[in-house]
Amino acid sequence: MTTSVPVDVRDRESEDTGDTGPRDVGETLLEVDDLAVEFRGDDGVVRAVDGLGYRVVAGRTLALVGESGCGKSVSSLAVMGLLPPAARVTRGSARFRGTDLLALPPARHREHCGRHVAMVFQDALAALNPVHTVGYQLTEALRARTGASRRDARRRAVELLDLVKVPHAAQRVHEYPHQFSGGMRQRVMIASALALDPDVLIADEPTTALDVTVQAQVMQLLAEIQAERNMGLVLITHDLGVVAGVADDVTVMYAGRAVEQAPVRELYEAPAHPYTRALLRSVPRLAGGGTDADGRLPVVPGRPPAPGRVPSGCAFHPRCDLARDVCRTDVPPLAEAAPGRSSACHFSAEVLGGARG
Amino acid sequence: MGRYILRRALLGALTLLIVMFVLHLLTTFAIQLNGNPALAFFGDRVPTDAQVAAVEARYGLDDPCYDQTGNPCLGPFVERLGSYAQGDFGTDLRGREVTDIVATAAPNTLKLFAVVTVTWFVLGMGLGSVAARWRGRPTDHGIRMSSVLIDAFPIFVLLLVYRYVFAVPLSGWATSTFGADSMAALWFRPSFDDDHPWATLLVPGILLGLAGSAAFIRLVRASQLEAYTGEHVRTARSRGLPERHVVVHHVVRNSSVPVVTAVGLTFTEALAGAVITEGMMNIYGMGGVLWEAVRASDVALVVGVVTILAAVTVVVMLVVDVAYAALDPRIRYA
Repeated sequence: MTTSVPVDVRDRESEDTGDTGPRDVGETLLEVDDLAVEFRGDDGVVRAVDGLGYRVVAGRTLALVGESGCGKSVSSLAVMGLLPPAARVTRGSARFRGTDLLALPPARHREHCGRHVAMVFQDALAALNPVHTVGYQLTEALRARTGASRRDARRRAVELLDLVKVPHAAQRVHEYPHQFSGGMRQRVMIASALALDPDVLIADEPTTALDVTVQAQVMQLLAEIQAERNMGLVLITHDLGVVAGVADDVTVMYAGRAVEQAPVRELYEAPAHPYTRALLRSVPRLAGGGTDADGRLPVVPGRPPAPGRVPSGCAFHPRCDLARDVCRTDVPPLAEAAPGRSSACHFSAEVLGGARG
Repeated sequence: MGRYILRRALLGALTLLIVMFVLHLLTTFAIQLNGNPALAFFGDRVPTDAQVAAVEARYGLDDPCYDQTGNPCLGPFVERLGSYAQGDFGTDLRGREVTDIVATAAPNTLKLFAVVTVTWFVLGMGLGSVAARWRGRPTDHGIRMSSVLIDAFPIFVLLLVYRYVFAVPLSGWATSTFGADSMAALWFRPSFDDDHPWATLLVPGILLGLAGSAAFIRLVRASQLEAYTGEHVRTARSRGLPERHVVVHHVVRNSSVPVVTAVGLTFTEALAGAVITEGMMNIYGMGGVLWEAVRASDVALVVGVVTILAAVTVVVMLVVDVAYAALDPRIRYA
């Protein structure tokens, strides 16, 4: 089984962009800052992402966690320049090694996709083209962008399928996506994102459409590939169980904003935001320790606000057990709650202290 | 793939058989209700019984079942299938072989269809793609308006206007500018010329194609719009492919399946349009032959020509089905 990173792809491409080089451990690859995305709809303008910032570091996995509709997918589509026509970026930057992707003209922005920042989508059946063979889709970018020959492309396609551990890769490159099982299809999706050896991989709920045993395998695979290639990985998910296993850093999102950012271990040990705390309590545990007095699994009360109808002050206050008057009027800034971590809560010290005590 | 084609071909043969049987039933009932078509052979003269009997025998109309209203006349049908199988399609009332008539008329019709199909593709794919690419912009609105406008002018109106308003001045201008033997003069001739079939078929073909292209433009636009919103298009873009590549390989390619299907359906409509076009532009083609045969109650010719047209349609449908499978791999394994 070949798992080598073909260096030639990178060499051939580095001429026109110049900013591609080997990735150093701990190097900041992608820095998103103060990102805001708005949708124009029939009932006015809706802000889906509002002031989001995060850093993706080579060799580390950042998890973007939050409920549906909190803006995690939209923010990554904005970074990729793939927002639907109704949406646009109104503020902020996404710097890849210093180049602000969002300030580039669309065609130049597109050149960074796949090569520097690549993306794995949730539903591989819909995200892969049904009328092209898997082999074609794996190396389409390679052939179109680097002028690789048909034979090189075929070899590379087999190599990529081997890399994501699809058995009988040499035969399966000739098959179509509908001939693959769900898990294998998601592996193909991952392989196609890796075709140009990207520096940052954004995986948008890569395991949501899969059944549980396959989920674990795919996550394991992603983690292995990320470690092997010293790549920066952004994992978008709502599954805190997945986060605990593979992430290094966590950004918890609520209503388009980051509400807490922390290294994964510290976040699990002591959340500094009431929303994170509520989320962690609602993760089922085998030992039964997570249940409340009735033996039921606690849930976060209420529902996330509909975009466009975000409450005043702290967006989480209607569902928060700590909410006080100030929460209804003032938006809490994302501020340092402890060294290396930040929280957007007026009472983060209290939450943090309560969890530790 | 081989089994798929075989299955489709068998289905096509069955369809053809059913078409022939229905055609046979219709002509049989027409004979039973309207009287003896053998009389048409004699025109205004009154034949003797012996003469009628001889003609009936010659055209296979002597079976007594033709006098019994409601009798499906299966005997003559089987007989006709037998002679068709041997390549014998009978003769028309003037004694010409139906196969000979078709052999002279069919190439002109096929040339007309070739021009029509090319026009569909150029206009439909071209304008439809442009409209989808710039949806909601003035270009899109303009193209959609034009397609409605085209729909408002049926083929016979287009041809009438062309023939009586444009053809004479245009051909006069082309003759005086480029000479009577020039290509341009032939293009705008108001009638068909056997020596220059392609040149004189061009304008009628384009007009017939134009009339059918409106629905085509809208279909291409709609199916491409659907493809544009597909998640696979977003994936292709996420690979950093240039927009032109994405449009060709993921939008146009994916939207080609419904478009090819529509070609088959529109083709049958064009058969009807061809009858009108050939009539108005004096083109000696299948449509014209059929028209004359029906007017002259020439049963053998009508049955022969319709059978051949049905066979052509079945073959086109088969080609469409195979193209469909070639374009969408999911079909083959379904």
